[in-house]
Amino acid sequence: MLILISCLLLFVTALTLIVLRVVQPNARYTWLVAVGGAMLALVSVFIWLAQTPFDFVLPAWQPVTLFASPILFRADGISWPFAFGITALTLSMLLTTVTRPVFVNSFAWVGTLALGGLGVLAVTANNPLTLLLVWAALDITELLTQLGSVDGSANNEKVVISFSMRASGIGVLLWATIVSIAEGSAFDFQSMSAASGLYLVVAAGLRLGVLPLHLPYSSESILRRGFGTVLRLISAASSLILLGRIPAGGLNSLATPFLLMLATMAAIYGGWMWLRAPDELIGRPYWIISLASLSVIASLSGNPLGAVAWGCALLLVGGGLFLASVQHVWLNRIMLLGAWSLSSLPFSLTASAWLGSLGFFIPFVIIAQALVIAGFIRHALRPAGRDTLDAQPGWTRTVYPSGIILLITLQFLLGWIGWDGAYQVGAWLQAVIASLLTFGLVWATPRFRILNPIRAHWVTASTTSRLNDMVEGLGSLYRVLERISQAITVTLEGEGGIMWTLLFLVLFVSLLAQGTP
Amino acid sequence: MSAPILWIAIPFIMGVFILFFLRERFSALIGGVTAGILALAALVFPIDTALLLGLISLKIAPSIQFFGRSFELNTADGPLLAIVYGLSALWFLGTEASGTSNRFASLGLMIIALLTASIAVEPFLYAALLLEMAAMLAIPLLVPPYQKPGRGAVRFLIYQTLAMPFILFSGWMLAGVEASPGDLSTTTQAGTMLGLGFAFLLAVFPLYNWIPMLMEESSPYVTGFLLWALPTFTVIFALGFLDRYAWLRTSSQLSNAIQFAGVLMVASGGIFASLQRHIGRILGYAAIAETGLLILVMGLRSSEIVTITFLTLIPRGLELTIWALALSIIKRKAYSLRFNELQGLARSYPVAVAALILAHLSMTGFPLLAGFPPRLAIWQALAGQSLVTSFWVFFGMLGLLVAAIRTLAVFVMANEDKKWSVNESWVQVTMLGLGVIGLFILGIFPQALHPLLANLPSLFEHLVP
Repeated sequence: MLILISCLLLFVTALTLIVLRVVQPNARYTWLVAVGGAMLALVSVFIWLAQTPFDFVLPAWQPVTLFASPILFRADGISWPFAFGITALTLSMLLTTVTRPVFVNSFAWVGTLALGGLGVLAVTANNPLTLLLVWAALDITELLTQLGSVDGSANNEKVVISFSMRASGIGVLLWATIVSIAEGSAFDFQSMSAASGLYLVVAAGLRLGVLPLHLPYSSESILRRGFGTVLRLISAASSLILLGRIPAGGLNSLATPFLLMLATMAAIYGGWMWLRAPDELIGRPYWIISLASLSVIASLSGNPLGAVAWGCALLLVGGGLFLASVQHVWLNRIMLLGAWSLSSLPFSLTASAWLGSLGFFIPFVIIAQALVIAGFIRHALRPAGRDTLDAQPGWTRTVYPSGIILLITLQFLLGWIGWDGAYQVGAWLQAVIASLLTFGLVWATPRFRILNPIRAHWVTASTTSRLNDMVEGLGSLYRVLERISQAITVTLEGEGGIMWTLLFLVLFVSLLAQGTP
Repeated sequence: MSAPILWIAIPFIMGVFILFFLRERFSALIGGVTAGILALAALVFPIDTALLLGLISLKIAPSIQFFGRSFELNTADGPLLAIVYGLSALWFLGTEASGTSNRFASLGLMIIALLTASIAVEPFLYAALLLEMAAMLAIPLLVPPYQKPGRGAVRFLIYQTLAMPFILFSGWMLAGVEASPGDLSTTTQAGTMLGLGFAFLLAVFPLYNWIPMLMEESSPYVTGFLLWALPTFTVIFALGFLDRYAWLRTSSQLSNAIQFAGVLMVASGGIFASLQRHIGRILGYAAIAETGLLILVMGLRSSEIVTITFLTLIPRGLELTIWALALSIIKRKAYSLRFNELQGLARSYPVAVAALILAHLSMTGFPLLAGFPPRLAIWQALAGQSLVTSFWVFFGMLGLLVAAIRTLAVFVMANEDKKWSVNESWVQVTMLGLGVIGLFILGIFPQALHPLLANLPSLFEHLVP
């Protein structure tokens, strides 16, 4: 029931904002309502700790003979840190919004609260059926919110591409369950077969929300930082939870080393691009790619808790960095504590990240991790030139930093009490090597041209052209298929269509008749 | 009062009355209300059971004789009648919102009455004649007055007519099979005849090309209605065959053939839908894929055939109603329904576009929508039997999803200066809004259908162990 209460707090607040927007469009207390709702939700999720693990089950679908699995949500060591992180991110977005130029009751706040509620539901979903339903709700909400807030056909196209990628993730999860049922397993995560475990990884990958690479908002759009961050990170978290749910033996297959190799390559690529990104928002997709890849690597190495740790780091460390929009020296320095959370040093948030068996891949994983941390440090120590808090009213100078500090505090808190197995020494030697390499990269970045940030328009041009090539290739294939379909249609629907149809029918009957004795 | 009079004769007579005597503006309302009352009556008054209303005892007799033939509707038919007339009421009430010709409600009511008669008639082979009569009544709906019928309408009539002799012949041969079950050649011939009859009726691949043609040349609302009504009753008729003849139920060859036909329809329907540039034709192919699913269910070696069939049929009715209504609203703005004429229409017709996309997604089995629970049930049953068949069904659904995403992409392809505005009338918004809410309710709480579904398996007692 506590799960429902937390989600309802977010949904009811979102609904209240909609009502206020209609009834009292100029009301000045709407921000307080939004922050109040988000804060209560955060407190309510914290209270879960007193009762975990516990379930929330909706009435079973009828007839029971067809639908054996109920809609089931579970608060446990895996879902709680994600739920806590998501509600904290929601609150943090609302707290940091006070510095935005347009500070009114907007659909972005409503969308943030609704996404927060759905995100909590997604991370607590304890079987494929529940996750499918929540993912679908998340996708439809995102689709409607984004279509309502973007202009221009190119941006709308990006929204549709993003929706189609997520929908294909839903399809892969569905296929994973079909495969699992075909192999005689039940319709839940605990008894999923090894063959379907790999599909789960693919489903999570497709739904990370990194394609299209950039959100359909212009670089000047205020939605890009606040709502965009929530959108990207909650989507990623709701996908990564799947990795934490895969049972330890669920990924033992011949394809595992191959997938491990792919994930390591993706982590290194993401880390490299993140390090060289012109600013943190342009680099955000690469942050997600690299952290999600590290999460996948942890999962493939047989350490689901490591996947949870990287997922929480993606949410909290990334959230703090991406939501910070003003120049504040002390805040920038405090944000550097995020590097500790990413380091997997003893008692840090990611201390339990590398407890699985990585074997041959250890050096490459260390390189990827170092690239990510070095990139984070570079972006946290952002260059001057942004707005400062000096021009803001007094209360915003208090409220804004509290939004960022909240996320930093939670990184430490989750590192200690986040889940069974948190607060441990972990693979310290690996962490020390990664940290040393990070220091090396931070030292070398201003000294070697290859490590310098690439220009923003270069990033955009190269990624766009590569995507264009891919789209072009798919388009050509599609046109060929369309021509074939057109030829069949013209034949069957033309003047001689009936004769062709009857001919086909006779062929089919004779083919089928061969099967009879 | 007997059940056949109440649910066959009265709606037919009402249809005639509306057609000849009622002013056009009232016809949709009266037709819808009549169907709604009949649905409610089917829910409230059990057939062949005495009901005490104050001092009056009321009993609806189950059968009636008509020219030596018997029409029989039993207690178990109650939920079926409620579903059929309930969905018909939705179609008829949507007539005005869709801007369809007012003959639709009257002829539609007559068609539903004839189709209901087809499941009530004994000997049941006469159902083929009633189905043919219903198909012929559909022609005035499909072809506007004083216009030459299109190629699709002609082909529709040809195929539906060809079905009748095949079914009647097979019935005659089946009597011989029952007399000498060991005669393999008669059994094969009867099975082939029957298969061909149903192939024409259900528009099995490659006999379905009239559907996209009709979607292109006729009113989408009328065609949508036919794509809902005809396969629904044909499937019930086919289940009746399986229920009656043990050798049909137990033949593994027939079961395989049915599954093959179903999978072929789902996969080809999905693939062709993904390659279309006309949203009317996409609806046609989606309906084909959906009929394929129903055929596939009939071929499942499962004791839940009847439950899954009806679980699929009800959301199908709702999806097609919403989709066809939205399509009709859009067609009034963009005449040809081709992609190049629909770009950016989401901004001027947001409710119709949203309803169309959600109905389409529901047909693909997108979670949270009405089509998901039945597809989940089908996949669970199918996965245990064949992963290859499951893959092809999955592939077909993926094709429908691609079509939905392409349609969405076209609808939202708006210029930067185009503002959002709602141009639908309040009636259209209400109808579509209620329909979309229904899609979500059936997708999240499919148990809402359970009271209707619980007794339906007793209609086919041999198919349920």
